[in-house]
Amino acid sequence: MTHSLHRSGPIESQKKDFNWFMYQTKGVNDVNIKPKALEFIAAAEAVGSENWGDVKSGPRTQYKTEEIIDRITDKSRIRGVFTKREQVVEFLKIMKEKDTGLSVVITGVLSEVLPACEEAEVTPHSINYSLGVWGKKDNLPDDTTLSITTMCGHHMIPPKYVEHMMDQVKKGRLTADEAAIKLANFCYCGIYNQVRCSDIISKTVNEAAEKEVASTKE
Amino acid sequence: MMSFVSYIIFFKKITKKGAKKMTVINKELCNGCKICNKFCTVDAIHYLAEEKKCYIDQDRCTECYVCLRQKVCPRGAIQPVELDSFYKQFQHVISDPVETHGVTGVSGRGTEEVKTNDVSGRVKKGEVGVAIDMGRPGMGVFLRDAEKVAMAIAAVGAELAPQEHTPLAALMTDLKTGKLEDACHGYHLLSVIVEAKCKEGELKQVLEALQKVEKEIDTVFSLGLIIRTDEKGQTKVLDTLDELGIPQPHRGKVNVGLGKPLSLA
Repeated sequence: MTHSLHRSGPIESQKKDFNWFMYQTKGVNDVNIKPKALEFIAAAEAVGSENWGDVKSGPRTQYKTEEIIDRITDKSRIRGVFTKREQVVEFLKIMKEKDTGLSVVITGVLSEVLPACEEAEVTPHSINYSLGVWGKKDNLPDDTTLSITTMCGHHMIPPKYVEHMMDQVKKGRLTADEAAIKLANFCYCGIYNQVRCSDIISKTVNEAAEKEVASTKE
Repeated sequence: MMSFVSYIIFFKKITKKGAKKMTVINKELCNGCKICNKFCTVDAIHYLAEEKKCYIDQDRCTECYVCLRQKVCPRGAIQPVELDSFYKQFQHVISDPVETHGVTGVSGRGTEEVKTNDVSGRVKKGEVGVAIDMGRPGMGVFLRDAEKVAMAIAAVGAELAPQEHTPLAALMTDLKTGKLEDACHGYHLLSVIVEAKCKEGELKQVLEALQKVEKEIDTVFSLGLIIRTDEKGQTKVLDTLDELGIPQPHRGKVNVGLGKPLSLA
């Protein structure tokens, strides 16, 4: 799957959005992965991963670490989020040292990820480059909604629910952080960046409020 | 085309947990509150004013199970009914990331692609992997459109990935052409990956084929190119994009080469 690759939104916003992945290869190193998974989780938590999860259990925004760990099996897919390049560097240094033998993947803006790899002294092997969206784009939701929904690459977040969350924040019924957590809980993998989502919601609601004030004055 | 025996074996393998359920709205329980409308990932839940009830458009529903897992209906009216065909089960396994595909053993869209390339060596030096995520972001895809794209790139020399690597191949009657079984055309999935590879020298014609076929489909796709890079993560292969007026990528999924045994292919 390419589910973390095709995130959208302003580049400066994407530069605070990284995903990390542990990957076992079928038929090679996919047996008894739990001890290695625990190494990944420990490393991620040590550098302050803002969200992580296992698609078989759910995200940290919804479940406790112990609950997710208890349910890890060889079919688990462990992955998560960072918001700073420094976290990527430290995580890669730790995982290189740990030498688990499982594949490690980092997704993000290349102008951030590649220097992080160099600083951590790991050598990129292969890259899946995103060439964006093609086809009948007229029917897509607006860019702001897409910047929120595309953070769950399996499309578990309904666009209309994003609109509903924006509306709830605008009316003061939810904070941007609360709305972001509700959205993050749709993403079972744990790669949803609720910090970035909260920023986007806050910015959008504030801009709408400023426009309304400006048009009232006119 | 799969033999009848292979078909049955694949049907049993497609999920690990036995019969799955299709999503419907129980009209006796539905009170038309419309809360569910905002929870459908592909806008397949509608309100019927004459009946004052909601219903699920079964042609559009992808069986992603968001409405079931999130328990969105306060009256429990959204209910599962058995998925009674191979294609309905396929639709569900590919659209619901929690499910593990029975043949590839991978959850999500069912393929490992770049994520384990440092071990699998699936895409080697001199090759370009093409990962076309049909229906993404969030529009969904009818399999007839996935067929159009698969056939377009196969016709210019792209080698489509086999079913051990990627789920869509199981529906192909001919891996060389990308033709899918006619009976699957009308099924709507949240997204599905058309996965292939080509030689570096063939990339331009593959991209040109995609520039043509993107005008012929009724959905969108997100395109990824998988490339074995140098030690700095750079590659000259992307120079081809400039010739075709395609913007250079700013995002990437970087396999950092820590998997073992490391493939140097």
